[in-house]
Amino acid sequence: MKRILINRIVQFLVILLIASFLLFAVTEFSPGNVAAKILGPYALDSQVRMLTGRLHLDDPLLTRYLRWLATLTGLLPNQLGGDATGLGLTDPRGAQYFGNFGFSLMQGRPIVDVLADRFAHTVTLAVWAIGLTIPISLALGVLAGTTAGSWIDRTITVITVTLTSLPEFVVSVALIFVFSASLGWLPGTSPLAQGDRWSEASQLVLPVAVLVIASSAYVTRIVRSSVVDTLARPFVRTARLKGLSPLRVTFFHVLRNALIAPITVILLQINWILTGVVVVEAIFAYPGIGRLMLEAALFGDLYLIQALTLISLTVAIATQFLGDLAYVLLDPRIRVA
Amino acid sequence: MMTPLAGTAKHDRHRKRARRLGRILFRSGSVSVALNILLFWAVVAVAAPLLSPYDPTTIDFTASLDPSPSAAHWLGTDATGRDLLSRIIWGARTTFLVVPLSVLSAFAVGGVAGMVSAWFGGWTDTIIGRAGDVMLAFPALIVYIILITSFGPSMWNIVLAVTLAYAPGVARLMRAQVLSIKSLEYVLAARAAGEGPLYIMFVEILPNVGTPLIVDLCLRTGYAVILVGTLGFLGLGLPPPTPDWGGMVVEGVNLLTLYPHISLFPAAAVTSVVIACNLLADGLRGLRR
Amino acid sequence: MSKEKVHGYIPDLTGQYRDGRVSRREFIRTATLLGLSAASAYGLAGTIDGIASPAHAQEAKPKGGVLRLETTVYDVKSPAVANTTAHPWIYSQVVEYLTVIGSDNVTRPHLLESWEPSDDLSVWTLRVRDGVTWHSGRAFTADDVIWNLTRLLSDEVGSSMLGLMKGYMLNDVDSGKTDENGKKIITHELWAPNAIEKVDDMTVRLNLKAPQLAVPEHLNHYQAVMLDPAEGGTFDVGSNGTGAFTLTEIEPGRGAVIEAVESYWGEGPYLDKVEFVDLGGGDQAIINALISGQVHGAFQVQPELARILEAQDHLTLYDVTTADTAVSRMRVTEKPFDDPRVRKAFRLAIDPAKACAVAFGPFATPAEHHHVAPIHPEYAKLPEWKQDVEGAKALLAEAGYGDGLEVELTIQQNPPHHLRSATAMQEMLKDAGVTCNINVVPNAQYWDMWTTVPFGTTVWAHRPLGVINLGLAYRSGGAWNESGYSNPEFDRLLTEAEAMPDPEVRRGKMAEIEALMQEDGPIVQTYWRKLLTFYDKKVVGFEMHPTYALFANKLAIRA
Repeated sequence: MKRILINRIVQFLVILLIASFLLFAVTEFSPGNVAAKILGPYALDSQVRMLTGRLHLDDPLLTRYLRWLATLTGLLPNQLGGDATGLGLTDPRGAQYFGNFGFSLMQGRPIVDVLADRFAHTVTLAVWAIGLTIPISLALGVLAGTTAGSWIDRTITVITVTLTSLPEFVVSVALIFVFSASLGWLPGTSPLAQGDRWSEASQLVLPVAVLVIASSAYVTRIVRSSVVDTLARPFVRTARLKGLSPLRVTFFHVLRNALIAPITVILLQINWILTGVVVVEAIFAYPGIGRLMLEAALFGDLYLIQALTLISLTVAIATQFLGDLAYVLLDPRIRVA
Repeated sequence: MMTPLAGTAKHDRHRKRARRLGRILFRSGSVSVALNILLFWAVVAVAAPLLSPYDPTTIDFTASLDPSPSAAHWLGTDATGRDLLSRIIWGARTTFLVVPLSVLSAFAVGGVAGMVSAWFGGWTDTIIGRAGDVMLAFPALIVYIILITSFGPSMWNIVLAVTLAYAPGVARLMRAQVLSIKSLEYVLAARAAGEGPLYIMFVEILPNVGTPLIVDLCLRTGYAVILVGTLGFLGLGLPPPTPDWGGMVVEGVNLLTLYPHISLFPAAAVTSVVIACNLLADGLRGLRR
Repeated sequence: MSKEKVHGYIPDLTGQYRDGRVSRREFIRTATLLGLSAASAYGLAGTIDGIASPAHAQEAKPKGGVLRLETTVYDVKSPAVANTTAHPWIYSQVVEYLTVIGSDNVTRPHLLESWEPSDDLSVWTLRVRDGVTWHSGRAFTADDVIWNLTRLLSDEVGSSMLGLMKGYMLNDVDSGKTDENGKKIITHELWAPNAIEKVDDMTVRLNLKAPQLAVPEHLNHYQAVMLDPAEGGTFDVGSNGTGAFTLTEIEPGRGAVIEAVESYWGEGPYLDKVEFVDLGGGDQAIINALISGQVHGAFQVQPELARILEAQDHLTLYDVTTADTAVSRMRVTEKPFDDPRVRKAFRLAIDPAKACAVAFGPFATPAEHHHVAPIHPEYAKLPEWKQDVEGAKALLAEAGYGDGLEVELTIQQNPPHHLRSATAMQEMLKDAGVTCNINVVPNAQYWDMWTTVPFGTTVWAHRPLGVINLGLAYRSGGAWNESGYSNPEFDRLLTEAEAMPDPEVRRGKMAEIEALMQEDGPIVQTYWRKLLTFYDKKVVGFEMHPTYALFANKLAIRA
């Protein structure tokens, strides 16, 4: 048990390190010169060259990767801040601290600050979406699983298959068309700007709805098939033969065992919502990290792309790790082994 | 050279499966609906030049002022004045070219990796497995966004992106499948008969790992349709003026209040194909039982 | 008026206006350019035509209130490297320009009281306005002007003022080093020690390397705000300025707040506060915010969305005809565009009016492939440009492309009218046997390749004079010569035109230049945009400006 855990943690760190170098190398290909981006299109060669030199952007790849890693972990001060570049970029935390991703070229602020509010917004979205997805999909999944083959099951199956087939952008467009463009009940965008006529809560409704529709349909199907499989297992038959009431059997015996698989799936959904909400955030102009990622990529904001990818990567690997862990802790067969 | 016993068992298995396949294909309502939808779009894609009333890129300069559906343009035009029906018809061709190409490429790469991994085991297996883990760790959409903003939108870059994202998953599935039958009698028999690993992998094993992989193929095709649509939607799809369903949806989003048809018709087209793929996958799952 | 020292050409100009040879608009523009104050110019025109000056015919504006405006809020810590027209929306309310181009396309002195060019346009005397003080209480003087101009023109700062003024203020310096491609590394320095000369505390003289007509316009370049030298060239919350407002809050990507100062030397301010709201750039978000009254006005509205907003009773449409455009420029050093026949064939294949309508509906006017707009004072009307597909085919055949030709046009992703415009061109080129593939790239990425891509559509902002664009974009070795165009004949004509303050004579020269551009030039140009936006009817004093400039000191809001 302990050995499995340590083994997993080591794997987690190794994968993170390899992946971070890969991502650093990949973003190298992103077009354009950082200095030219800061100075804008009309800068002359001489001006770009001068800034490139001051930012040490002409060093070899490995040197820059190691410097980036050292800056990130607070071992070295950031190159971009301070008076040397004359760009007026300042970081209230100083030039050297753990988690120093540098500055966003797009916004001219420390990336930590940029990330802080964007991340909070995405977490809000995720908490609502997961908070609604879990009860809805458990209820529907158990209902369908326990009544397998009946009309209830068939109806739920048809609906969930259809909903998992709908691309998020189609669901979003359809919801905007109905509730915003036609009925006017809800705002069609959710910029969360101050003093909006629409309350922040009303701006959350449609984006959350899209996420809930997409993930709960999928989780419902997993729960259903897990319940069906569990019901067919011998211990359930034994419990029934012992004369326990069907409800008791369902809640005390089946559910406990049937939920092992879905927990992993739910963790993966959390990962998906935290890292894959680009589409929903882009459509609703929601100020979260998904939209930030798209903006950064389109702008070519190199440091921001690196920071965001590293964070998404960490979240992704961490949720996978937690999923494995949950599996180990919950499944009695594995625990014994 | 096979032992008669293994040959008979294999034969039986095939017959049973064929019967079940027939039952599923012809009796299951959802599968036949799915096949009909896919067949419909396939015909549309192939016969696009015959079916479409206009050239998909020709601009009707008068219609651009009012793109609503009319006698001349049954589904209306897009904001640029191009016939929407024709663009949806030609868009089917785009979808039916890019998506199968991407998925097949992912299955080719992932399948070979999985098979090699399972067959040789040891270091090969470990290296392929870890590489897959690293690739799976990257959030898919973010990888595409970086790839496509770096290298520009083109069909091959989309194919590359889909391959990178799906190949590790396919490899895992393939590995598991191969491991589960690697030690079955008929494979052992072929091995004993001195057949080389390539022969065994492709002639003996590949045909028998089929069903779960086919189900996976259908599901992934569905995802790929969504993905290609999503890239188009984010403005990272195929270069214009290639009709691209996702790109067509995004073109109309800002005009939903005035001209909802610009977005809604192509959205319906994407959805129908994805539903068909998922229904098919669902139906085919029956083969495993 | 008698106090003003008048440029030698003013009497001639007055005569021409009296005889009806120049329009009122041209008269005022040329007179102000030659150093007459706008008020005097309007006054002088009034003595001839009897029309009262517009500046004083305004209603009394209400005081107080908070205005909320939509705009992208960028980081503005370094105005010298600001690179969008949205950047100055915030900082130019606090720190100001020496000159200002008004919504009527007339340039007026602002922190300057007046300017005076020598008769040969090579010495410009700038007089600093009396009575302008910084928020800190210190008087604004010639030293502030000199510090800022010198700073903007140095390589280290990275301002695009350098490219703009290079031709008449700077010398190239060979650093003696070469870059990794073996190209010489060139730096710059002021062409003469007295290029920027302090005459006295309130007077600065610019001694130019070459005559230049558009110095006052260049002083309104959006990066050229006067910062307090004590702050070292950066700008932030609470920065010292000469403007009507002070910056109290800013969070890029979210919003910013400016508050009125106690006393301002010019008009206004009427408002207590302006709040800038960043809605994240989505067009739909802007529409929603305007409809719901969340903001009182927007930076701009895309033409295709105007229809939605025109139906709203509480909103007013503001638009302005501009020389804002995009040119599909062909790199003359790349095949097939090295052949002038191909370039002309591309122009002949296009009907600008049709392309214009598809891309903008009613919000643009067709262009004529020569980058001089009808609203430019020196614009010369040429015979109407006619699409001629057969002529285009013949030229292509002559150039050896009779069997067709395949090219790639690179455009920016946003706003969507670029794609509509390119699609229209693509369709028309097809008829002439040219297969034109469109390569859409993210906007930021386009600016990495704008000077190198063989065939690309580049946005050119409005500039008040035709010669400014021509000099920047098409003169051999011009700072922003993206097409590599180099034609001694063109250079000669342009240099002659630039030395002619007389619009009548200059127009004759412009007719030759325009015809040359149509025959040999490196661009296909289909439209002149109207810029448009919507404001709440409660807002008073707003005018849409051809470069989106905002004068918050003139705005007021009715309760």
